[in-house]
Amino acid sequence: MRSFGEVWRSTIFQKWVMAITGILLVLFLVGHLSGNLLIFLGPDAMNGYAVGLRELFHGAALWIVRLGLIVIFVLHVRAGIVLSQRNRKAKGVRNQKFEARSSTVASRSMIYTGLLLLFYVVYHLAHFTWGAAHSEFYHYTDALGRHDVYRMVIESFRQPTIVATYVLAMAVTGLHLNHAIASAFQTLGVSHPRYTPLIKTAGPAVSILLVLGFLSVPLAIAFGVVGG
Amino acid sequence: MNLRLHIWRQSGPTDTGMMKTYDLADVSEHMSFLEMLDVLNEQLSERGEEPVAFEHDCREGICGSCGMVINGRPHGPLPRTTACQLHMRTFKDGDEIYIEPWRARAFPVVRDLVVDRSSFDRIIQSGGFVSVNTGNAQDGNTLPISKKDADYAMDAAACIGCGACVAACPNSSAMLFTSAKIGHLGALPQGQAERYDRAENMVLTMDAEGFGACTNHYECEAACPKGISADFIARMNRDFVMAGLLNR
Repeated sequence: MRSFGEVWRSTIFQKWVMAITGILLVLFLVGHLSGNLLIFLGPDAMNGYAVGLRELFHGAALWIVRLGLIVIFVLHVRAGIVLSQRNRKAKGVRNQKFEARSSTVASRSMIYTGLLLLFYVVYHLAHFTWGAAHSEFYHYTDALGRHDVYRMVIESFRQPTIVATYVLAMAVTGLHLNHAIASAFQTLGVSHPRYTPLIKTAGPAVSILLVLGFLSVPLAIAFGVVGG
Repeated sequence: MNLRLHIWRQSGPTDTGMMKTYDLADVSEHMSFLEMLDVLNEQLSERGEEPVAFEHDCREGICGSCGMVINGRPHGPLPRTTACQLHMRTFKDGDEIYIEPWRARAFPVVRDLVVDRSSFDRIIQSGGFVSVNTGNAQDGNTLPISKKDADYAMDAAACIGCGACVAACPNSSAMLFTSAKIGHLGALPQGQAERYDRAENMVLTMDAEGFGACTNHYECEAACPKGISADFIARMNRDFVMAGLLNR
């Protein structure tokens, strides 16, 4: 028997941490996206949903989810950095020639797309959650005195630079998830000739659907489909 | 055919090493890649230069000794082919060929294209065996094994330990090798007694030797001259975590 410390530090356990937290983050994105799409139902749906989130279980639910997300996020980023440093050290001197056979741009750039997303998440929270970035759009209230999330989003995505940043961030997200989703299942040992081909197709497909979903909001606003 | 070869030359483990260029004329297309290097080495010896050191033994693709990165691919461009089974007809007149050693911190270069793969031996020593009490061998047919399981174990047992998986992996991970050994014994009834000890010990030895982690590029699977599937890595990932839960 090995101690928990030995198992925890092992490459495979850290990969499991990576995979499980990664899958949870993808599930969070699905929830996040379903909230975003309320923009198409108008201001009342969006602002009502925002208030609902904040008031669920007297505000406790939001903070439980937030704390969970913080723990998941930290574990995911930490495992990514620890493993990629270990991998870099393991290779040492590189061959002058390397011809890829099955790795992809997405798979080889996971640590870079991951770190870019880390910076983006901080900026994204500063923008829509803390009101620290683009604070001019943060302080609207609607007719019922609620925080006007709808108007904040509409006004924000009327700025071309914000739309461009968001589109770029979603491209990076898509690249990251393109490899991540199927990879997580392999790491967790979910592998069988019957359903592995399905997972390898579904992973990239889900990543594309998520990105298209997220992009629909800023693009609909930028082209005047939503918000007039 | 006439070739221009760029070969990694390194006089010893502490030498920094560098690529050197050699022109080789009149190479027969019927030669194997190693025979082509033999011809080069004869010419180098005649000129009073040090021949290029490379490992080789059976030259029929089953021992796992020969290993070199040829034009950025372990064992060269052909799938499921060791360097010794690669023939010069794969190349054409005027080609430039880059020949480099396996690259991994756990495979230090001994000289030129020869690397020290004893880290693989230490992984095997930590669990790549089954313990059987001495005494009369029992009748082979008392242990029923389905054809499917036997074939599956044989797929893993095809590993010749050449190290191409490590060389192909951008992280120099030894997971295809280690998982093939764990999967081979773990799939058979004889391997059940030590199944979880084996998974824990071999994985932790692999880590301690300084191999990287798998990021599921599947370069190893593509480079493996025996076509071993990365599904064995998934199986190992499963066994290792199960060991953490079940092993006493």
